[in-house]
Amino acid sequence: MRFNNSFNLTYILFTLLGGTILIFLIAPLLGLFFSLKAPGFFATIHDSDVSNSIYRTLLISALVTLVASLFALPLAYILARKKFPLKGLIEAIIDLPIVIPHSAAGIALLGFISRDSLLGSLASSVGLNLVGSSAAIGMAMAFVSVPFLINSARDGFAAVPVRLEQAAETLGASRYQVFTQISLPLAKRSVISGLVLMFARGMSEFGAVVIVAYHPMTTPVLIFDRFNSYGLDYARPVAAIFIAVTLIIFIFLRIYQKR
Amino acid sequence: MMLQIESLEYSVGEFNLGPLSFELEKGGYLAISGPSGSGKSLLMELIAGLRKAKHGRIIIDSVNHTFTPPRERPVGLLFQDYALFPHLSVYDNIAFPLRILKKEHRQIESRVNDLAEFFSIETLKHRDVGTLSGGERQRVALARAIAYEPSVLILDEPLSALDEELREDARETLKGLKDSRQTIIHVTHNRNEVEGLASKSIVLSQGFIKSLF
Repeated sequence: MRFNNSFNLTYILFTLLGGTILIFLIAPLLGLFFSLKAPGFFATIHDSDVSNSIYRTLLISALVTLVASLFALPLAYILARKKFPLKGLIEAIIDLPIVIPHSAAGIALLGFISRDSLLGSLASSVGLNLVGSSAAIGMAMAFVSVPFLINSARDGFAAVPVRLEQAAETLGASRYQVFTQISLPLAKRSVISGLVLMFARGMSEFGAVVIVAYHPMTTPVLIFDRFNSYGLDYARPVAAIFIAVTLIIFIFLRIYQKR
Repeated sequence: MMLQIESLEYSVGEFNLGPLSFELEKGGYLAISGPSGSGKSLLMELIAGLRKAKHGRIIIDSVNHTFTPPRERPVGLLFQDYALFPHLSVYDNIAFPLRILKKEHRQIESRVNDLAEFFSIETLKHRDVGTLSGGERQRVALARAIAYEPSVLILDEPLSALDEELREDARETLKGLKDSRQTIIHVTHNRNEVEGLASKSIVLSQGFIKSLF
């Protein structure tokens, strides 16, 4: 009886504490939607700058996620399966974009792609200016979000029993076939989860993106621009529409992931 | 000789296996037994190519396969936990090595059907492997291991995970395989379970052959 009482008390306490953090997460979002004014909201829906920025943000983030996966998944697999010198250092480097301020990441990237840099001068020689381009936005998004994909996929690959890969090898499969036909399908859930996380993190990025490309505007930059130039009433509808669009996408992706 | 092991040596940490030498004729049934830590699993993995030998030679069907990667070795391996691919159906598990070999669809279907009949698993072909019983899983894993007709089939503790009744059925299946002239190595910690099956027996102790008969 004493155990049950103490369990119930603990359970009640945990529910109260957990409920508080849930309210903390939900309240600002609900407040945002409840404080919308109809005329401003409908005008924003028809604002082509807003719709173009949302389209641009989603498209660049999706493309960057797909392209980065070609490089990130092999690295995640090697990290899951192989032991090698400086592996800990490499894992720390992968986590670096998560812990450094994203504005600092933007400054670092700006130096990497500016016209004085090797990459920037190469692009410049074929008539491309990376700074202020969609490519720069994509690089900033990838820089801050790819660790989520690598880490999630690495955990997924590590959870695939080595025995299954060995079995496939003894049945004639090459290492590449083992990866594509056994490891990748079995780690699918973690890989998709990583892709979704990377996509989400990329499209919501502001700090690094605003430094490498203020224009063309992604939606997070547009929200900041409206807030900075016109105030909260103009930024709020853009923020609400962007949150609504992302929520719909993530509900859809989550349903797909569960299937 | 189907299998010749010549002065095979391997070491891991402080454990040394061998030098070991023995032979097995085509269609032979070799039992390798010994207590835990005697080197049975290491020897099995060396023959299957999952580990590289430090010294010695592994000759299968007159070809030196000592350093051949596992995918190119004519050795089938039945893992103790069967290692069935959980994302594939029974049919797709058995067809896996045939698809790797890029066999034609008809050939694959015919071979899978023949194996399903041999192992009495015709009704399970489209089942998820996660829904199978221990005995069924073993028969599917055996069918998969011999689907591409390996020269040597290694069985890792094939009877230890089964209860008494299923063990008898499994012994009958292994007898059937032996009668089909499949060369078999049966690795076990329990010498009694290979009575009536093995044509040759090796007992390992601390990495060496304690007896060969």
